[in-house]
Amino acid sequence: MSATREIPLYQVDAFASETFAGNPAAVCPLDRWLPDAVMQAIAQENNLSETAFLVKTGEGYDLRWFTPLCEVDLCGHATLGSAHVIATHLEPGRESIVFMTRSGRLEVTRAGELYTMDFPARRPTRVADAGPFAAALGGPPLEAWAAGKTMAVLASQADVLAAAPDLDKVLALPGDGLIVTAPGEGCDFVSRYFAPHGGIPEDPVTGSAHCVLAPYWAERLGKSRMTARQVSRRGGELTVELRGERVLIGGRVAPYLEGRIFV
Amino acid sequence: MPSELQIYQADAFAARPFSGNPAAVCPLEAWLPDAVMQAIAAENNLSETAFLVKAGTDYDLRWFTPVCEVDLCGHATLASAYVVTSYLEPLRRQVRFHSRSGPLEVTRDGELFIMDFPTQANERVKDTAAVAGALGATPRELWSGMDLMAVFASQAEIEALKPDMTAVAALPLRGLIVTAPGEGCDFVSRFFAPAVGVPEDPVTGSAHCALTPYWAERLGKARLQARQLSRRGGALQLERRGGRVLIAGQVSLYMEGLIRLPTRVLEAAA
Repeated sequence: MSATREIPLYQVDAFASETFAGNPAAVCPLDRWLPDAVMQAIAQENNLSETAFLVKTGEGYDLRWFTPLCEVDLCGHATLGSAHVIATHLEPGRESIVFMTRSGRLEVTRAGELYTMDFPARRPTRVADAGPFAAALGGPPLEAWAAGKTMAVLASQADVLAAAPDLDKVLALPGDGLIVTAPGEGCDFVSRYFAPHGGIPEDPVTGSAHCVLAPYWAERLGKSRMTARQVSRRGGELTVELRGERVLIGGRVAPYLEGRIFV
Repeated sequence: MPSELQIYQADAFAARPFSGNPAAVCPLEAWLPDAVMQAIAAENNLSETAFLVKAGTDYDLRWFTPVCEVDLCGHATLASAYVVTSYLEPLRRQVRFHSRSGPLEVTRDGELFIMDFPTQANERVKDTAAVAGALGATPRELWSGMDLMAVFASQAEIEALKPDMTAVAALPLRGLIVTAPGEGCDFVSRFFAPAVGVPEDPVTGSAHCALTPYWAERLGKARLQARQLSRRGGALQLERRGGRVLIAGQVSLYMEGLIRLPTRVLEAAA
């Protein structure tokens, strides 16, 4: 680390049609891997939920994600952001990108400004006792479901916007976080996601929650292609498509910052 | 309104990269709407983003956290002085900022940036029980000023402290400084302020307004070297000058770039 190196850095907002919305991620394309401790220090300095590092390997890219504290196994929004950086700056016009990651092979395809990732569907099952959901939400949901995450279905978008769950009681629910959802105004459905289990009171936009939401809403609405909004404070816009046991999750990426860091 | 803005991220009170207290600095031609500056600070997600606009030969300076505008921020002022003297006016060695806290002057001497602050008086506190309970260790001395200041015997004791943040938040005053003689410097410290949303601050200029007169008196010297032993770590040079404290540190540039304002923002301003 004695000689200073310049490394390009991009900060983008994933699942956002405009800057200042969606989920921010930093993306650093590298010629070769930096020592893990240096990548960790960069992620800490950026202080965003995730910083992605990528190295080109043949036709694809090796991709790793770091939070300010540690390396993580999977991060959807920083993958979408990485695909945007490649298709905009590194290989302009590229329409399909394969990433090799700790979670295996991830492919992102681009159609115009829409970037789409392919995830496994997680079909929820109905939970008979909605009592703990009602306790967490301060009122009973219309329906209670679970698939790794818990999911409370409410009557309206206004109900989802007004939800102010007791995070201690959300922690007491099984699984790794609570999805709250309802039919959307101007889109098929809206949702919010509370994950105090992972130290995140409310996540701005959550790809993995849509692996649960897509099969539920596809069944209920009788259609496989849907538009969704995550109505967090920053807000996120997604397209979802149920294809058998897979969910295609799509979003736009808004550029925020283009710079270089000195390491 | 320009569609692109220059942005810098720099670590203040950092003798090496990836240490000290990070701040973003955006030099502007003219003020942006407050909501846009707030959105930029939220997007940066650093403790502070500074915005500066040239006013005659001086600069107007404002600081935003990710959630609101604040009255005073020392480390983002140091970082702003770095940006002015490195990029905007490379021949300049003295910069006066006008802020919500009045005029602030920073002098550059080589790689060192020097700020001039008022000292904080300390009064001895007899009852150490509440502080000892919050820290899980009994200090040798306890003092009170803008913050509480607990004095320990050794750097090792400071490094080992694991305060109960709920108990620290319940103490009176803004925060709790802990300090001891340093190994390889005059004194070391850490600063806990959970009551204002900062469990542990990486480097705290304002805490040194209280630390400097205490250590200057105790060690019988006016110029002191200090380190703040947070996880990131900070290095400061201090000088007591009557009722003022000169607080100096280096600044390490991390990032330089351009941010793009969204069309919605530009149209709203047009």
